[in-house]
Amino acid sequence: MSGMPQPPRQLDSRIEIVTPENIAFHYVVAGPFRRLPAYIIDCLICTTVLVGSLIGISFAFGSAGMFAIGFGIWLLIAFAVSWFYFGLFETFWNGQTPGKRMMGLRVLSVTGQPINAMQAILRNILRAVDAMPVLGSVAIGIPLYMVALLAAAANSRYQRLGDLAAGTMVVVERRSKLRGLSQLSHPDVVRLALDLPRSLAVNRGMAQALSLYVARRDRIAPARRYEIARTLSEPLAERFGLPRDINPDLMLCALYYRTFIADTAGSAVLSPESEAAEMAAAEVSVR
Amino acid sequence: MKVAQLLERRKVRWSELEAMCRELENGHSRRLGAVGVLRFASAYRSACADLALADAYQLPPHTVQYLHDLVGRAHNQLYRSRLFQWQTWAHEMFRRVPTMILFDRAAWLAFVIFWGIFFASMALAYSSREFSLEVIGEEAMETYQRNFSQPIAGRSFEDSSMMGGFYVYNNASIGLQCFAAGLLLGVGGLFITVSNALQLGAVFGFIFTTPSRGNFIEFVTAHGPFELTAIVLSAGAGMRLGFAIVDTNGLSRMASLRKAVDRAMPTAAAAVVLFFLAAVIEGFLSPSDAPYAVKAGVAMLSTAMLVFYIVVLGLRGRIVDAD
Repeated sequence: MSGMPQPPRQLDSRIEIVTPENIAFHYVVAGPFRRLPAYIIDCLICTTVLVGSLIGISFAFGSAGMFAIGFGIWLLIAFAVSWFYFGLFETFWNGQTPGKRMMGLRVLSVTGQPINAMQAILRNILRAVDAMPVLGSVAIGIPLYMVALLAAAANSRYQRLGDLAAGTMVVVERRSKLRGLSQLSHPDVVRLALDLPRSLAVNRGMAQALSLYVARRDRIAPARRYEIARTLSEPLAERFGLPRDINPDLMLCALYYRTFIADTAGSAVLSPESEAAEMAAAEVSVR
Repeated sequence: MKVAQLLERRKVRWSELEAMCRELENGHSRRLGAVGVLRFASAYRSACADLALADAYQLPPHTVQYLHDLVGRAHNQLYRSRLFQWQTWAHEMFRRVPTMILFDRAAWLAFVIFWGIFFASMALAYSSREFSLEVIGEEAMETYQRNFSQPIAGRSFEDSSMMGGFYVYNNASIGLQCFAAGLLLGVGGLFITVSNALQLGAVFGFIFTTPSRGNFIEFVTAHGPFELTAIVLSAGAGMRLGFAIVDTNGLSRMASLRKAVDRAMPTAAAAVVLFFLAAVIEGFLSPSDAPYAVKAGVAMLSTAMLVFYIVVLGLRGRIVDAD
């Protein structure tokens, strides 16, 4: 076995975090093209603040005849905004800037812990390197972020140089909705489910396959369902002593019902009529 | 127990946790109250437990996915970013930073490179006009000469504040860029340091050949010590980052860089503070009509402060560490 190539630990952009509660959960790290919209939003906010404050200061100080003082103050604001906007927001907003919050991104340490102030400031000062090369002047230029792209392409967490130095990564904070189990209470399904052997034990892989199949069968055409389900249902039908020409879709739904919903008819959850109608229609077309 | 019943039972707890996450994400932690926070912690732990047992419960994959997302969300609300710790920062600034600067070879290297090239360029520009033309350019040379042709007459408070703001913006930005560029294996920082030293040295050398030299010296004396030290420090801090990637001292490159960050960041922060001080002096004192003795006094005082900060505090910090 030693000659066999080891499978890479991480193939997609998912990474595993182990919490202090000793639970491992998954994050999706955000690639360059998820981060770009957030960056553009932040840039727009910065520009608005700078232009807005310049106009405000011009009116406030200009009317008092002290425009030069106001401009000096504005330059201080410009310095603070251009170097510390990202860093301070990420410090006080728990790893998010307004743009990142809108796009559902968050900066975390590579260990999955929150970042501290030093990491937040550092990764954003080093942005100056990541942004290279800059088209136009340094003050008003378009950063191309080629260095950041190269660095992100070279590691599995899409970290740019600032991230690498600060030990941080950007993750997607997904907010999925809890979807309940698929409601299967067509009389045929329930009847077949109760006909299956009492001693039926479904292992983990089978349970996964069943729930993936049932969650997606709504989006699969009946003939295709038949084709997909047959590989699993034929050997099972043989083992349970059921007729070989049993509808494979029905068979898998019944197994799902037994595994996830109920052992007995009494505890079945009633489903809307449309579901039953659709089931019936599907069966007709399969036959 | 069947999954359907289990889900039915757990769903309440999960959606409660989800609602609390939403409150916390919007910054309404007060609205939860003490009891709410306790409930949040326990709801989070039970969601963790459900996720851990997801396989044993044979939860369907999309429910597991939901739990991963929910636990991740709650995790980020429970463990929050640590803010500035002012006490440790004071300790950093007055104990660790001076010691690190004093015994940091990268800072000394930046010091030697900067001043070496500065004086070499100054000598060349003083002796040959072609060199100045090459480095500074004719247009800039004329501007410098014109700007310092009149004795410094002082400037209004307004103009001083504007220029103070400009110096912070411009000089501190250059310093931070110099620091950031150091990350490119030290070469980027080296390049900026060398080009800065060349330019500055040439301007000094060139001005000395003109009658404007007296006014020029009077202008640059007061803020020179802080500003030039700041540029050397930020370049040194940047190079520390870059060199750490090349010379890893037996660590992995990433670990070596991480370790260097710990040393370089406080130094860069000290440089930014120095840039601020220099900008205030450059904005207000340098162009004022105060007698030269005052400006020279400020220069000496700031040099003494720098020596005290780096050498005295640096050595003391080392003695304290040795204990």
